[in-house]
Amino acid sequence: MSQPQRSYHDVKIGDALGPEEMFLSKDQVRAYARTTGMWVPRFTDDEGARKEGLPGMITPGNMSLALLSKLVTDWIGGSNAKLVRVGTTYRQPVLPDHIVVLQGFVTHTNDTERTAEMDIWIENEDTERLVIGTATVQFGK
Amino acid sequence: MVDYDPNLIGRVFEVTDPVPVTAQMVTEFCEATGESGPLYTDEAAAKRGPYGTIVAPPSYAITFRNGRQFFEHIPRFGRQGFDAGKDVEFVAPIRPGDTITLSSHVKEIYEKTGRTGSMVFVVVRSTLKNQNDEIVAHVDHRFMNRP
Amino acid sequence: MSTILDLHSHSEASEDSRAPLEAYLNWLKLRQTERPVNGIVLTEHRQFNRIADYRALEDKFSIIVLKASEVETDYGHMLVFGVTDEMTRRFDFSNVHLPAQEVIDEIAHMGGVVIPCHPGRPNVGLFEHYSSKPSLENVVAVEVINGGSRKGEDERSLQLAERFGYHEIGGSDSHLVSLIGLCATRFEGNVRTVEELVTQLKGGAYQPVDFRPRRKPVQPAIAVEVK
Repeated sequence: MSQPQRSYHDVKIGDALGPEEMFLSKDQVRAYARTTGMWVPRFTDDEGARKEGLPGMITPGNMSLALLSKLVTDWIGGSNAKLVRVGTTYRQPVLPDHIVVLQGFVTHTNDTERTAEMDIWIENEDTERLVIGTATVQFGK
Repeated sequence: MVDYDPNLIGRVFEVTDPVPVTAQMVTEFCEATGESGPLYTDEAAAKRGPYGTIVAPPSYAITFRNGRQFFEHIPRFGRQGFDAGKDVEFVAPIRPGDTITLSSHVKEIYEKTGRTGSMVFVVVRSTLKNQNDEIVAHVDHRFMNRP
Repeated sequence: MSTILDLHSHSEASEDSRAPLEAYLNWLKLRQTERPVNGIVLTEHRQFNRIADYRALEDKFSIIVLKASEVETDYGHMLVFGVTDEMTRRFDFSNVHLPAQEVIDEIAHMGGVVIPCHPGRPNVGLFEHYSSKPSLENVVAVEVINGGSRKGEDERSLQLAERFGYHEIGGSDSHLVSLIGLCATRFEGNVRTVEELVTQLKGGAYQPVDFRPRRKPVQPAIAVEVK
């Protein structure tokens, strides 16, 4: 599949990232936990997570950040640009075995620095924002 | 108001042992996050790309952990809480074959109230460097404690 | 002539917001048709920036920008409008356990007005505190539409307002640029200054407005797993 190609001048405030709907499975969360050394009950086992007062196993915040970073790097695609900053706030647990929607908007640009700032977030099936954040993309000359 | 030793702020309390990055680790990370971008997964395409080689996706930078002593040094306020969020500055790509170290310090401590009650936030800044002593990322971790 | 203001928003001065003020105003200009907001009120967490002057930005974008604060009390979070030096000398806005009744009464005496925000929210909303503590005196209004509310929270806020006869306001509680102005308050009168805002809030001739698009929640039955 060809990747998007855009220059700094193609970017407009209001441009959308996504929305991307995905089924975030428990298996995928466990794979992330295993591969990143986070194999602890809250991220791998419903019963273990409940003992910590959680509703069931939850998605690691780091994984949410990774998914949102991917939303941005997919948007960058083959452009002469790179992701230089991501910030996230985890507002609610992201429960696996549910559909989540990842999306964002370009909110402002800086002509001197050739950067684009964007809002990015993860929503649940009830359109509640579970993770919110921003990202900065730096375009080359 | 939350009580803590102000000398904690800014003092570097830990530098971790170097952690190697392998191609296998990058591949597994990409699989776990559904990452298929050619810079991270396709050797031939990555060779033609800006870095000349496969690199780890940017968010790989936050998978590096502080050492065992980390939690002995950062202040705790009551019950263990959660990761409340991160701010990550990606400075340079991480490549298979790199070794990465972290140095960390407490950047800020503040208190607020929210849906789950009173919370104390401890912000720890980690700086990641590779084997060439080049900074690859800065990560601000916000830890939420419940007093 | 009516005025629509987003009464609850946070710029990057609040530690959990990432929104520069200018980006907020630019976004409102772009989205003017869907969010016909005349201005915003910055209600930064636990602080008040006395010296910030936004008149140049107001002129650039023709959007009103007013300053206020969101403080934390023993009855939950509250918005303080009409903040003066006298108020910030009397109350440490960074204290997360301010005495709510004193805050409401003394700030009113000093010429301001205090409005509980997101009252339907657990722990930091008035609704829950009223279930175990005496209700507060002299509450003028509460925020019944909050852009950051979860399911059921605004409904509880509305119940509270109706039970106690409080006037009702709306605000986005925005911490991201793209969320500004989605919820707001329509005033029957003209509001261009903080003094006019305080007068109008005490008067009661306003109602909350909701500009959020009505989106259908995702249907789980049509999920396709992404490998």
